[in-house]
Amino acid sequence: MELETHNEVLKKSETNGNAVTDEKILLIVFKLGESEYALSIDQIKEVVLTPRISEIPQTPPYIKGVANIRGTVISIIDLEARFGLKSKKEKAVVDESNSVEEEEESSNYTLVIESDEYKIGILVKEVPNTFSVNRSEIDSSAGIIRHSSLDENAINGIVKIDERMIILINILSMMETGGLKTTNE
Amino acid sequence: MSSKEEEYKEMFLSEALQNYEQLNELFTVLEKDKDDTEAIDSIFRITHTLKGNAMGMGFEAIAELSHVMEDVFSEVKEGNIKLSKSLFDNMFKANDKLGTLIDALTTDEKVSYKGILTKLNVILRKAREKNQPKDEAETPDTNEKIKGTTQEPVVPETESQPEPEPEKANEPQEDTVSETDTSTESGKKPFGKLGEMTARLFKSTKQSEEETDSDISTEPEPESSVESTQPVSETPMETEEVENEQSPDIVEEEQELPEPYFENNVVEEEVEKVVEEEKDIEPEEEQVEEEDEIEEKEVEEEIEEESATQRKIAFSDVVQIPIRKLDALMNQVEQLIIERDRLMAISDIDINGRSNSDFTSLQRITSDLQYSVMDVRLVQIGFLFKKFHRVIRDVASIESKQVSLVLKGTDVEIDRNILKIMSDSLVHLVRNSVSHGIEDAQTRKQRGKPEEGVVTLNARNEKDNVIVEISDDGNGIETEIIRKKIVEKGLLNKELADQLSENEVLLYIFEPGFSNAEKITEVSGRGVGMDVVKRATESIGGQISVETEVGKGSTIILKLPSSMAVKGALLFLLGKQEFAFALTYTEAVISLYKHEIYMINSGLMCKYLDKTISVIFLEDLLSMDCLDEISDEGAFHNTYHKIEDDQKLDVIVVSHSDRFIGIVVDKLLQQKEIVEKTISKPLDNVKLLTGTTILGNGNVCLVVDAAAIADILFKSTNKSKIMEMV
Repeated sequence: MELETHNEVLKKSETNGNAVTDEKILLIVFKLGESEYALSIDQIKEVVLTPRISEIPQTPPYIKGVANIRGTVISIIDLEARFGLKSKKEKAVVDESNSVEEEEESSNYTLVIESDEYKIGILVKEVPNTFSVNRSEIDSSAGIIRHSSLDENAINGIVKIDERMIILINILSMMETGGLKTTNE
Repeated sequence: MSSKEEEYKEMFLSEALQNYEQLNELFTVLEKDKDDTEAIDSIFRITHTLKGNAMGMGFEAIAELSHVMEDVFSEVKEGNIKLSKSLFDNMFKANDKLGTLIDALTTDEKVSYKGILTKLNVILRKAREKNQPKDEAETPDTNEKIKGTTQEPVVPETESQPEPEPEKANEPQEDTVSETDTSTESGKKPFGKLGEMTARLFKSTKQSEEETDSDISTEPEPESSVESTQPVSETPMETEEVENEQSPDIVEEEQELPEPYFENNVVEEEVEKVVEEEKDIEPEEEQVEEEDEIEEKEVEEEIEEESATQRKIAFSDVVQIPIRKLDALMNQVEQLIIERDRLMAISDIDINGRSNSDFTSLQRITSDLQYSVMDVRLVQIGFLFKKFHRVIRDVASIESKQVSLVLKGTDVEIDRNILKIMSDSLVHLVRNSVSHGIEDAQTRKQRGKPEEGVVTLNARNEKDNVIVEISDDGNGIETEIIRKKIVEKGLLNKELADQLSENEVLLYIFEPGFSNAEKITEVSGRGVGMDVVKRATESIGGQISVETEVGKGSTIILKLPSSMAVKGALLFLLGKQEFAFALTYTEAVISLYKHEIYMINSGLMCKYLDKTISVIFLEDLLSMDCLDEISDEGAFHNTYHKIEDDQKLDVIVVSHSDRFIGIVVDKLLQQKEIVEKTISKPLDNVKLLTGTTILGNGNVCLVVDAAAIADILFKSTNKSKIMEMV
């Protein structure tokens, strides 16, 4: 839903004379493991340097803990851990020492995502880029989604441009549908 | 005058003043546009409310005058009185007098108002004579009633007199009554509420406003039941007429608000919102004047100039603030405190000693500010307590017992939000006292007690806490019965249950699903309850305990923080992470060598004072992936095995429900007042933590839930004990 409303806004503000009948969508693209992932820009509040994270007991490994971002304590999530995308080298590092610093070094930025109810932070290694695509370029056919290893509700679609493949994910629906659990029951 | 009455008076004053100002405005509006029926209706409604409130408070002069004004406008509505200039002159005069009378309540001046009263009565009589020539008997009657005020019983003739007007309207009335009441309800809420409260003040405590409320919505002559308890008597017929006649118009008014009143109505809505929010602890609203009162005043000023009367403009001394605004303010102050701590922490590192004094005044001012804001949120606990008269009455009548309620320490102040959270629990506890505690009259007689049982609600301050005790002089709790229940419910086997001390046995009444009721009654015995009460208490960092003596009665003791905003906490390090325990749970800090801690069964023990207490390495608990691991073999021994024998350990002794637990941490930091925030979604369901706070260095400090640890430990030891026995 949010995507659509955003698109309308975009459509109106589209003044560069491209005369596209197709809607443009602005994405924030970031790397997880070796692949590119993206979120719709209107889900993202800000990108900050990852602050110190306080671990929370009895949570799944991909819940990194909580951190103070501009005076608000928000939950920090490591999607690489969630999607099982840690490169082998990194895994070795993590196995050897569980220290927070090591991981922080490799996840320098936090994408702050805001929903109506709460904010969460997602760890990324590099500064994310914006990327504009036509709606028609997003392949959200069920086939692709079903054949991916990710949960169905986590993916909004896939963008294929040239050699790049960007997976459009929906964090908030993952949270809602239990794709991201917050406790070890 | 008691503080309660003072409070009501204050509320009345601010409402009355508001009414008076509204009337002033409405009269001016009406004078300009004489066809403004909405203004007429509003005037009618306001005078009616004012009359009701004044009667409730026993301010006869105001009641009398507003009553006559109401009557005049009732005639105006009927078209029996023309809106002439002289009428307006008189009405303005009457309203000014009303203002003076309201002022006089605080100054105790004597104000004569009979002149204008008589004048209005004359106008009224003329109008009535003109329009109801056949009905002469009525006029003197009404007059006599108005003039004579007060305690006269209802004149029966008046009641039986045929009144042509209502007769006509009778049929549609039937339909409008219910509709009316909802609409007038909402329309009059800010006023009506005071009416309710004042009525309650003068009524026997057993009759609550709920009763009268429900009467109003179902029966056509509800007012009479309310009015009859008030000092001024009134003919029921008239009240009824008044109520019914105004109804359709008010509905209309509610729907389309005329512009000049727009502001007021917005405010009313706002007030209503607050009222809604506070439904649970209804009578505690801080009293009232709108925030945009100033604007209103400006409008007033213009009007004043127009009418060219030289009068002082009255300001109420009370301002009403919606709770959410207070919450927002509190939030900002909390952020300020965090920022202050951060600055102070920086300066602590950079420059030592002297520069810190630069911050002392900042610290003092911010602390004062914080406490002032907290203070605004405090309400007298009596607000909640006095609602229990009704609760007791209801339960007692269901159970056919004789019970009276004694309230003590009603002036103790406590954060409004805490009262809100605890109100349901208190209701439950009080019902329990009557239902389980107090015996029936016959049994009491046999035991040589007075037939009427007594439930006492007592509040007092203890350091930063408020202690609330709910005691009864009833049966007391027989630990043997509970012991039996423990075994029956499979919580412990018989041997273990027999080993428990009396106190330990009593704690089981707070276990989920543990109901001591012999039979399930309407009032209690559904097995939900005490555990819910306990959880509510602990959710705000409070503690619950019970004392009982068989045959003499029991007391439930709630130890509540007086404010939720700030709590004392003990900060410590574990690994590199800062943690905190709420001070309400910490009993002592001790230092132990490893060899002073003994391995016993699945746990660890040490000596504290003359007791043997459980010890746990917090590390062990927090590093578990899942809390189910506590039943794993040696789950609590991991860290113990790792450390060196001669290592000195910092141990925080926490007490919860009379159980002591030693919690081993890496390093103690400091004692500090923290602003705790609950953990926001999606991590809001994390156990072991109650919340977080941001420290001066910007780090997030996790507040550990001592109550949860105590519960977990307690249950796991019981479980393992049972396992061993088997």
